Amino acid sequence: MLRLTDIVGNASDPDIADRLHHIEHDGGVERVRLSRNDLARRRQRLVTDRGTELALMLDRGAQLENGSVLLLEPGRAVLVMLDEPQWLVLRAAHAAGALEIGYFAGNMHWKVRFEADCLWIALEGPREGYLKRMTHLLARGDATVLDAPAQGGTRYLAVPHAH
Amino acid sequence: MSAQLNSHARPRGAARVGIGGPVGSGKTALLEQLIPRFIARGTDIAVITNDLVTAEDAERVRRSGLIAPERVLAVETGACPHTAIREDPTLNLAAADELDRAYPGLELILIESGGDNLASSFSLDLVDYWLFVIDVAGGDDIPRKRGLGVLQCDLLVINKVDLAPHVNVNLPRMVAEAEEVRAGRATLLTNCARGDGVDAVVERIAQEVLFDR
Repeated sequence: MLRLTDIVGNASDPDIADRLHHIEHDGGVERVRLSRNDLARRRQRLVTDRGTELALMLDRGAQLENGSVLLLEPGRAVLVMLDEPQWLVLRAAHAAGALEIGYFAGNMHWKVRFEADCLWIALEGPREGYLKRMTHLLARGDATVLDAPAQGGTRYLAVPHAH
Repeated sequence: MSAQLNSHARPRGAARVGIGGPVGSGKTALLEQLIPRFIARGTDIAVITNDLVTAEDAERVRRSGLIAPERVLAVETGACPHTAIREDPTLNLAAADELDRAYPGLELILIESGGDNLASSFSLDLVDYWLFVIDVAGGDDIPRKRGLGVLQCDLLVINKVDLAPHVNVNLPRMVAEAEEVRAGRATLLTNCARGDGVDAVVERIAQEVLFDR
């Protein structure tokens, strides 16, 4: 198990990106994919896409982000990539419905964002669970569920590439 | 930006593990079972308890003789207990930092929440990993109610399993429903009055945040 305690830097930093680029060509970049929730954890057990077990032990003030580099040494690097959340999208039927849905989501401590007349709920568990909790709101027509947007996957990480 | 090699690292500060759950589910009883087990395995530990307006749980743990009393700090939340572990964990963060300073070799801080409802959860600013304790006597429908604590905790502990036949609870169904709503995340069964099942809880915590194996 590889024990790591520092965020070396970020892949968006040109110097680091350049080193990552060369290591990538040698096949030495390993990635760990984290949910937004897990980005908040300072201490956790992880497994890279190549099966390396990591024991991550960061300072309390450290903050992981998309592109955080946890290891950068000749021929080897470990890179954090953010898994985009899955969303449940609701369109409010009217102002009163928007208030009800907004209040309910806040009361449930769900993470949300707003776009026009739609409420986007970041799913941290099965979608069906969220729908069940809102059965009463949906049944009386406060909002409708839209088709799920393009599913997440891992966020593209822009690393400067010379060729 | 300079890069540094960090493959031979040692932990900085203790791992912080939260224990939450409804009133009377057995959080303090679990704590009292965990403490001697971690001490026996050589883990340097300390404890923080949360109560509304007293230090009742802290005094209970201090009097237990299981751990040096000065290693047990009390946080009086004075309001909804979940506020002190989620919305504004400042008091608990300060207590944990104080323990880290006082005991440089500290490896694990167990933070017990005050008794709350099924919607309570821990901020990951405060803890690295958290348990939610429910019990069979509270009803086998608790997992089906999909409370935030049940859904989001890293480890769900179903306590008082010995009482299942006496309170007409179908334990296998309760466990199956817990696993279903948690999408397969860990669930363990305990009887903290006797210590049954607690070794597995210790093993899980050690694996996830002490990185024993």
